[in-house]
Amino acid sequence: MSILLNDDTRVIVQGITGKIGRVQTKWMLEYGTKIVGGVTPGKGGNTVEGLPVFNYVDDAVKETGANASVFFVPAAFVLDAFLETIDAGIDFIVIVPEHIPVHDVIKMRDYADEKGVTVMGPTTPGILVPGKGKMGIMPASLFAPGRVGIISRSGTLSYEFAGILSEKKIGQSTVVGMGADPVVLCNLPRILAMFENDPDTDAVIMVGEVGGEQEEKAAEFISVHMKKPVASYIAGRFSPQGKKMGHAGAIVRGSAGTYEGKTRALREAGVTVLESPIHVHAWAEKYKLR
Amino acid sequence: MRLHEYEGMDIFEAFGIPVPNREVARTVDEVLKIAEKTGYPAILKSQVLVGGRGLAGGIRTAETPAECRTTAKALFETDIKGLPVQEIMVCKKAAIEREFYLGITIDGYSGKPVVVASIEGGVHIEKTAGTSPDKIASFKIDPKFGFYPYQALALLRRAGFPAKPLTACADILVRLYKIFQQYEAMIVEINPLAVLADGSLAAVDAVLEIDDSALFRVKKNLSLSPEGRIGNRLERKGKEIGVTYVDLDGDIGLISSGAGLGMASMDIIGHGMKPANFLETGGGITADLLYKCMDLILMKPLRAIFINIYGGINPIHEGAKGIVRYIQEHGVTLPIVAKALGNHQEETWEILKSGGIHVVTEAATEKAVDRLAALLNTFSPMGRP
Repeated sequence: MSILLNDDTRVIVQGITGKIGRVQTKWMLEYGTKIVGGVTPGKGGNTVEGLPVFNYVDDAVKETGANASVFFVPAAFVLDAFLETIDAGIDFIVIVPEHIPVHDVIKMRDYADEKGVTVMGPTTPGILVPGKGKMGIMPASLFAPGRVGIISRSGTLSYEFAGILSEKKIGQSTVVGMGADPVVLCNLPRILAMFENDPDTDAVIMVGEVGGEQEEKAAEFISVHMKKPVASYIAGRFSPQGKKMGHAGAIVRGSAGTYEGKTRALREAGVTVLESPIHVHAWAEKYKLR
Repeated sequence: MRLHEYEGMDIFEAFGIPVPNREVARTVDEVLKIAEKTGYPAILKSQVLVGGRGLAGGIRTAETPAECRTTAKALFETDIKGLPVQEIMVCKKAAIEREFYLGITIDGYSGKPVVVASIEGGVHIEKTAGTSPDKIASFKIDPKFGFYPYQALALLRRAGFPAKPLTACADILVRLYKIFQQYEAMIVEINPLAVLADGSLAAVDAVLEIDDSALFRVKKNLSLSPEGRIGNRLERKGKEIGVTYVDLDGDIGLISSGAGLGMASMDIIGHGMKPANFLETGGGITADLLYKCMDLILMKPLRAIFINIYGGINPIHEGAKGIVRYIQEHGVTLPIVAKALGNHQEETWEILKSGGIHVVTEAATEKAVDRLAALLNTFSPMGRP
C-alpha cells in the first residue's frame, strides 16, 4: 500500500478539456492511474482520452463512483469549483494551479477542515506512487518503487530528491507535494502521521524551505509521534531575506521561519538535517534503505 | 504588492480611520506650498517602496520654510536604498504622547487571519515582541464568523491598552479588518497608532500589501496601476515576462524551475561562487519563456550561466529550443551548464548540446555545480558525497 493514493482511488480530472488537462490526463493514464472521468462546465457529453466529461461534479461522482479529484482549473475559478467538489462528496483533492488568491485559499482551508477532506496544494505537482499511479504533474521518469516516503513543500525539489535516490537504486513508497503557497490545505504533521502509519514506508524525507512555521510544527510532531527515521533539507540558507513588508508576521512567529530556527528545531527532534540534497544518499545508506 | 504610504492613508481615511492632514509633492515648490497649509514643524516622508526608509534618512523634519526648502531639495536628490525619491508626503509633525501598534496578517499554519496589537508601537516593535511578550497580544479570526468589536476589545484588554482610548482603538481595528478583506491584503498595519496631546488618535503610518494573485480583482479599487511600482529595472522586466526575478550582486546567471529548486541552487552555488540573480520560471515552461529568461539574465554582465529545470506541466524540450535559439541568435559564448530532467529529457539534452551547452544528466544539482566550478577553475566544496 501507499498513502493517499491506492488501488481504491477513482480519480476525476477537473479542467480536463483544457490544454494542460488533456496532456496530463494522458500521462496520468499511461502511468496506471485509475482515472474515471472529467469535469469542465459547458463541455459535458464530450470525451477526453475515451473518458466521459461532465458539466457538474455531482453528476461525475454519481456516474463514475469517483472519490478523488485533481484540479487543472484556472486560478480565478478554483474556489467555487473546490466548494462544489467537497459538496459532491469527494474526499481527496489535489490542487495543481498556482496563483490562487490567498484569501480564497483561506476559505478553502476552512471548508476542507470543517468537512474533514484531505487536500494537497495549491501550487503542488501532486502525489505519485511509483509504478502505481499519480495525481498531478510529476514527471514519471524520475521515480522508482521502494520504501522511502518523500514530502516536499517545493515541487521540483521533490523530483530532485527522488531522482538522486532512484539513481542509487533506492525507491520511494509515496512522493507527496504539499504545495508551496503561504497557506496550504494540509499541514506537514498530518502527512508525516500517514507515513508513520504506512507499513510500506521505512523512512521519510521532508523537504522544506525558509519562511512560515511548517517545519517547526513538524519537529514537534516528530519528537513525540515518530519512530521511523526522518531526514530533512531546508532550502534557502543563502537566499536574500524576503523583502520585509511589515512587522506582524515577525512579531507572531519570533525566530520561526529562519534557516537556523528550523534546523535547530529539527535536530532537537532527532531529525537528520541534510546540508545539501546530495547528502541524502549517505543517509539512505546508513539506514540501509531500499 | 506593497502600496505607497499615501495610498494606504487614502484608503484608511475612506474607511474612517483617523489620519493626519497630508498631501503628496513632486517638486520642492509643491513641498513648500503644502507645508504652508499643513503647518510647521513639517514632516517630509519620502515615498519609496522599501522597508527601513526612516533609518536610511528618508524621513526628515523641517522647523521653518527655509529649512523645508533645503531638506526637500536634498531628499529629491537622494537615493533611498537605490531608489530615487520622486514623491514626498508632507504633513505637520504631530505632538505624540504615546505609540501603539495594530496589524493584521495571515497565519500560514492555521490558515487564518491573525490580529496583533501592542501598547508599545514604534520602530522597536519586533524587539518588544522578544523582550516583553506581555505587552503584545494576538488573536486568530475565524474567517466565516468575522471580527467583531467585542473581540477587538478583548484582544486590546489582553494587550494592556488603557481604558481611555480602548473603544476608539477597537473601532479602528474592526475597520482595519474590513480593509484587510476588501483589499485582499497579505498585511495591513498601523505603526504607530499615535495618541496625540489632545487625546485623539491618528494613524501616522500606513502599511498595506496586497496579494499579487488577487490583483486582477483588487486593482480596480487602486488609484495607481500595479505596473511600474517595482524599483529594479530587471525585476520589473521579470514581472512583465511572468517569472520571479530577484537581482543579486554575483556573476553567475541562474535560471531554475520552482522556487525551492532555485533556492537550493543558490545555496549550492553560494559555497564557492556568487549568483547574479534568482530567476524562477514557474510551472509552464515554453520555448518563448526561456528565450525571454535568457534575454533577462543577460541584461547584466555574467561570468557563466547555470540552468536547472524540470519539466512537469510541459515537455521540457520546448524550453531547450528557446534557450538554444537565443544562444544562436545572439552569439552567446559564456560557459553554460544545464541540468534538465523530466518528460522528453533525452531529446532535451541533444538540443541543449547543439547550442554548445554543457549538459549534466545526473539528478543532483551538486554535480552540475561541480561541472560549472571546473569550467571556471573555481574550487567547489560541494558535490562530494
